[in-house]
Amino acid sequence: MSLKVFSIEEFSIYDGPGIRTTIFFSGCPLNCNWCHSPEGRLFNKVTLKNPNGCLRCNKCVDICPTKRKSCIGCEKCIDVCPLNLIRISYKEYTVNELTSLILKNVKLLNLNEGGVTLSGGEPLSQNHDLIELIYTLNKFTHVAIQTSGYGNKELFKEVINNVNLVLFDMKIMDKEKAKFYEGIDNSLIFENFEILKSSNTPFIIRIPLIPRVIDTKENLEKIILKIKDSKNLLGVELLPYNKYAGSKYALINKKYEPLFDESIESNPYLDLFEKYNIKVRIL
Amino acid sequence: MNKRIETIYKRILNKEHSFLRNDKKIDLANYFELNNVPYPIRASIRLKVLVQNETPFLFKEDRIGFYRRTKFIPPLLTKEEIKELSKNYNLFEGGYVTNISSDYESIIKNGFKNSLKEIENSLLNANKDETIELIAMKDSINSILELVSKYRDYAKSHDNIELLKALNVVPFNGATSFYEASVFLRILNYSLWLNGNKHNTLGRFDQYMYPYFLNDLKKGVTKEEIFEIIEELFISFNIDSDLYPGIQQGDNGQSLVLGGVDKFGNDAFNELTELCLKASLELKMIDPKINLRVSKNTPSKWFELGTLLTKEGLGFPQYSNDDVVIKSLVNLGYDLEDARDYVVAACWEFIIPKVGLDVPNVGALNFPKVINNVIFSKEFKDMSTFDEFLNAVKKEINKEVLNLVNQTKDIFYMPSPFQSVLMKDCIKNKKDCCFGLKYNNFGLHGAGLSNATDALEAIKLNIFDKHLFSKEELIDALTNDFIGFHDLQKTLSNSPKFGNNIDEVDTLATFLLHEFSNACSKHKNSRGGIYRAGTGSAMYYIRYGENLIATADGRNKGEPLSANYSPSLSFKSNGVLSVIQSFTKPNLFEVCNGGPLTLEFHDTLFRNEEGIKKVASLVKTFIYLNGHQLQLNAINKEKLLEAQKHPEKYPNLIVRVWGWSGKFNELDFVYQNHIIKRLEYSN
Repeated sequence: MSLKVFSIEEFSIYDGPGIRTTIFFSGCPLNCNWCHSPEGRLFNKVTLKNPNGCLRCNKCVDICPTKRKSCIGCEKCIDVCPLNLIRISYKEYTVNELTSLILKNVKLLNLNEGGVTLSGGEPLSQNHDLIELIYTLNKFTHVAIQTSGYGNKELFKEVINNVNLVLFDMKIMDKEKAKFYEGIDNSLIFENFEILKSSNTPFIIRIPLIPRVIDTKENLEKIILKIKDSKNLLGVELLPYNKYAGSKYALINKKYEPLFDESIESNPYLDLFEKYNIKVRIL
Repeated sequence: MNKRIETIYKRILNKEHSFLRNDKKIDLANYFELNNVPYPIRASIRLKVLVQNETPFLFKEDRIGFYRRTKFIPPLLTKEEIKELSKNYNLFEGGYVTNISSDYESIIKNGFKNSLKEIENSLLNANKDETIELIAMKDSINSILELVSKYRDYAKSHDNIELLKALNVVPFNGATSFYEASVFLRILNYSLWLNGNKHNTLGRFDQYMYPYFLNDLKKGVTKEEIFEIIEELFISFNIDSDLYPGIQQGDNGQSLVLGGVDKFGNDAFNELTELCLKASLELKMIDPKINLRVSKNTPSKWFELGTLLTKEGLGFPQYSNDDVVIKSLVNLGYDLEDARDYVVAACWEFIIPKVGLDVPNVGALNFPKVINNVIFSKEFKDMSTFDEFLNAVKKEINKEVLNLVNQTKDIFYMPSPFQSVLMKDCIKNKKDCCFGLKYNNFGLHGAGLSNATDALEAIKLNIFDKHLFSKEELIDALTNDFIGFHDLQKTLSNSPKFGNNIDEVDTLATFLLHEFSNACSKHKNSRGGIYRAGTGSAMYYIRYGENLIATADGRNKGEPLSANYSPSLSFKSNGVLSVIQSFTKPNLFEVCNGGPLTLEFHDTLFRNEEGIKKVASLVKTFIYLNGHQLQLNAINKEKLLEAQKHPEKYPNLIVRVWGWSGKFNELDFVYQNHIIKRLEYSN
């Protein structure tokens, strides 16, 4: 059993309190139209090719069993590229290996009142090693998890009862719209939210302000109504639309096709949050 | 910034004053040689002649000003004379005293009137040479007074009442207000450059100007008024800075030191420190170059103000850690009070103001070449353990240091009477500073440390541990610049590197620095001073790289070495926490010639108050780990454009948003441009 990690950001400052190391797990059950880490959605290992600087020598095409039409993760192309433009999409770690990596920095993380943030992709989609990882890391440092809330209920319960902080995404409230833009039935997310709400674990709600899809007054108010009166709600963090969201699609040879107008400025509706007495800030 | 300052600011930024300059090239050296003019007098005559050509000018908004007219400072020696002297001496920096820190405190306090009086006293029982020197000092002072008198008349005839009032006091008398002290400082700064001294560092401004600040406040001057003076003074350091020769990449070395501790070791940060940082933040000009002296007890506020400044992308502040530097200097024999008063020289080296003639950049050790020397030695093929290799490296370091010492120990400097007036006890001792002061130590940089460390690790791992290839293969590969040895090069490049917090590798860096420091401790220069080992590289990382064949860290022939105290250029980083931990493992108390770890961040890290606080916290962490010196850079537009063209130069550039990060080099080209464009409008 192993954990699939597509990136480890040692020095992360926008993923929880203090200075944190963020582990980005590969694999996500959602299919959000605005996803900015498309390379992190994948459950299967593929190669990523840097879109810049290719010499068109075709060495990678020649050696590929599918002529680079659909990657099977055999990794043969990685070594032949003269400019080292190709890399593997994720690495696999055992709990011990990942823990050792984190332990090297734990002193500095604690010194700066930070810790580790588990993110991705969707960390809940990892196998049960995730729980073991959380148990272990928790002994040494503050552990936070960034999640869409879409995952096995038992796993979710165990996760939130053993982390120090949950960063819980709230996106589209309307079921039909969520199915259209996010590709899933969002009822599971709300069920898990109820579990979170009735736990003792402090949490922050994160809302990506996708223009006119999520940042409508109607949708934001629905979110507020769901989350208010939670005793362990620390506040809401509004995430202005990431203008670089499309920048990594070329890595996986795909096109970014947002079904909304990227150029419209996000609407934070701060007064709405104020009206319901919810602590809110724009990241 | 009020209207008046804004006018001056825009004018200087746009170089609207450059019409004032002339291209006149005066030749004095031939006259000097022909007439066998004694050296001290050459300097004072040159200053006199230059002053004669400096017609005063002020714009109506100026309250400080002073504008250089003659661009070129003529040399004091002919080419033949230089050739002759070079036979026996190291004519460092062309043979001119440079890169020291004057006793601004005393001169501004006492005025030239006091210096002249001291000269008269010393003349009473001076021998012939001493008399020549003292007269040259006197003439130099009088030349500057002459220049000031011209500006006084100009101010009078142009109704510049304030400057006129100030020039009626300074620089003949000591300053009696912050404004007068600032005018005095500018005059000294201007005069030193005119006198042919380079890299005139401005010292501990917030300390020696503080008494005037306090006094002014008592008299009812407001902080806003003081701030205005500081801004105008800072702008004035940029007026002629394009005429000043650079020490590296256009950097003329006008470093200004803030913070630190007082002579008792107590925190010396004050309100003036804060005003200076705020002025620099608002002006965003390349001079003065802010250096911040900190320690692990320095409150976070100062690290945060420093980080705000870093965000502007000017390349400063540079942080120096008092906890390490002061102790290191004392270990090397500096007096504790002097060590506590240290300033930063033009680049990063630690020197003592008022009493130091340390030359902290006489040469540089070429670390990767040392490793190559051992690889290409006849003993290499018989080595059966890595320890034998390390022993040979140790011997080679000692050999190289001895070479450097022999090449550099006999420095010759032309007398600089005016500069000597500004240093302690030169008038009293009747001796020019060029012959030496209280401290006469030399410093050696240590270039390419990371390449050498990485090479050692690669050799240990692949040859001695895993036997992946033979010694002969390595020698062949390096000789042929890896042509035909593609896989071997890849193995070397993929071996563990210094900067990824791997103990086995970091130990090797510790070893190299320790041996370097040890080797230096065995030698003295011709002035009885010691040699200090450092971790800087200056431009040697390019120069040495150009002349070095391929190295065992996978580097190709001719490629630059690592710059200063940083990982090698193509190093793929695990992250900044790893870098900081690696680079604070060596005993940095042994390398007090200085040389900063350089970290570069994309400006998305400084986006908001939270980001600033956390980056400041990271700097403080480095200090806490006993790092000695740190330079934090915000990537600017030029660097991003370069990263687009040469991604191999910036493999670790990461762009960050909440919950998302991307390696700049991997992002779609269109988005790269987007990011670059945003930088133009950010902040």
